[in-house]
Amino acid sequence: MSAAHAQVEDRVKACAGCHGADGNSVIMGIPSLAAQPMIFLENYLVMTREGIRGLDDMQALLKGVPDRDIIAIAKHYSALPSKPGSGSIDKNLFRKGREIAAKNRCGICHLPHFRGREQMPRLAGQREEFLAEAMLAYRQNRRPGGDTLMAASLYGIPEADFKALAHYLSRLK
Amino acid sequence: MHKKAFALAAASTLVLSVQVALAQDKPAPPPIWKQGQPASMADSKLAPNPGKMTETAAADIPLNKLTLPKGFKVEVWATGMVGGRAMAFGDSGKKLYMGTRGIGRVYEVTDAGDKRTVRVVVDKLTQPSGVAFQSGSLYVMAIDKVLRYDGIEANPAVQPVDMTAAFKLPPEQHHNWKYLAFGPDKKLYVPFGGPCNICEPPTKEYAQLRRYNPDGSGMEVIATGIRNTQGFDWHPKTGEIWFTDHGRDWLGDNGPEDELNRLSKTGLNFGFPYCHANGIPDPDIKKKDACKDVTLPVTTMGPHAAVMGIKFYTGDMFPKEYQGVAFIARKGSWNRTKKFAYDVVTVKAGPDGKGAKITPFMTGFMDPKENTFWGRPAYIAQLKDGSLLVSDEQLGAIYRISYSAPKK
Repeated sequence: MSAAHAQVEDRVKACAGCHGADGNSVIMGIPSLAAQPMIFLENYLVMTREGIRGLDDMQALLKGVPDRDIIAIAKHYSALPSKPGSGSIDKNLFRKGREIAAKNRCGICHLPHFRGREQMPRLAGQREEFLAEAMLAYRQNRRPGGDTLMAASLYGIPEADFKALAHYLSRLK
Repeated sequence: MHKKAFALAAASTLVLSVQVALAQDKPAPPPIWKQGQPASMADSKLAPNPGKMTETAAADIPLNKLTLPKGFKVEVWATGMVGGRAMAFGDSGKKLYMGTRGIGRVYEVTDAGDKRTVRVVVDKLTQPSGVAFQSGSLYVMAIDKVLRYDGIEANPAVQPVDMTAAFKLPPEQHHNWKYLAFGPDKKLYVPFGGPCNICEPPTKEYAQLRRYNPDGSGMEVIATGIRNTQGFDWHPKTGEIWFTDHGRDWLGDNGPEDELNRLSKTGLNFGFPYCHANGIPDPDIKKKDACKDVTLPVTTMGPHAAVMGIKFYTGDMFPKEYQGVAFIARKGSWNRTKKFAYDVVTVKAGPDGKGAKITPFMTGFMDPKENTFWGRPAYIAQLKDGSLLVSDEQLGAIYRISYSAPKK
């Protein structure tokens, strides 16, 4: 194992406590990182390190982490498989979420299977409560560092629809 | 005004939820990203290009892919300015300031002759893309903040003066990142973009170009109907401001094209949201006689080209035929199935804007066969020796273009 590789293994250990050893979070409010697009992970790690995302605990962990390690961490997590939680499916809520996703054309950017691409995150299999809160935070301009286009896409969508969307997306593989 | 926004939203096919939202939430603008996406494009896979937020070393820049006219040479001048785009020289000409969007930083690049060093002046700002310099002071404008650094060239640790309140920036963020420049009148010119792809802006504070006294007083709206200008310069003969403007999205591969405009007097209307390019009425936001009294462009600049910085050449290094010619960076398309632009072009036109001719100058950032790109030229600055700097927002680099007459 190269020294650089060992260093990244060490860094990833620090992430595992919250985001899961395999990148699939089992903690409320903490997102899964597994199978996220590499550019998306790079961007969010950089923005967090820079203090733009306003996440003080995360920024402290990433302080001084050089770009090459950011890239290695992003590569590591993007290659891990997504394992959606085993929560039950509410058929009505799932169907409603699917309809809202179609109506708002979320799949143009996040792709029809919602596995994301490039700078646009994977939504399929992400934690339900995390997705609902992230969308609400975007719409309420509480998500620093977020893309203005994403915030704009969610304007006017009620919170109940975010809950349905989150339920639907979190159950996708 | 929300009535208007509501009527507009209900008119589009996908915004049923807005009605519910208005009833139970605080009033919100319509979902502007989706506006104007016709049903025929519901299965589209077009999305904005991802930026790169990590450093790129000079050795990793494929400079040999770039093509310039005979006698011109390109070299990497500086690297490490992740996301760097607009450039403003300090008074000494030895310091260059660079704004960014997503990464939230402003850079200072110090030219030590044979090499450049880079430091971050300020970070954690919301898209501080606007930088301008006058009388010893650096002006930085983010979407929601205006800062001034007095005497920064001599005193790198100077604390900024917060001038935000004086500029009265409106709340909508989209298309409200800034390009900034001081005019020959010593006033600060500031654009306020339309906060959407296509919409009637929620208030009159958007889709316009303004100028201010350097302290933020004396604001004047000097032009309206401007969707998103990200670059302007003053014509070396007439002193008139010429500016680039981005056309709207989701009307197909062929347009409406971006624009190069000329402001021959204050108060002109350039058409947004009703009239685009060379007089194309908008199919979504309709008005009778949509293009009446609209000032049409000097030239259209290509579909979805993302036309950015403009610099009239006034140096004495390039051949005579480049004197007074506009160099314009086109960052390249996303809302188009076949990628377009990703280049620097020249526009040669009369001082009245007549007879404009576009000629490719710096190409090779894009591979048309593979439909891929590696760099996105964004802004142009002129060095004292008459060479030009071109910033590449994708790779966080600056390239220098020089000329020497080919040997006969």
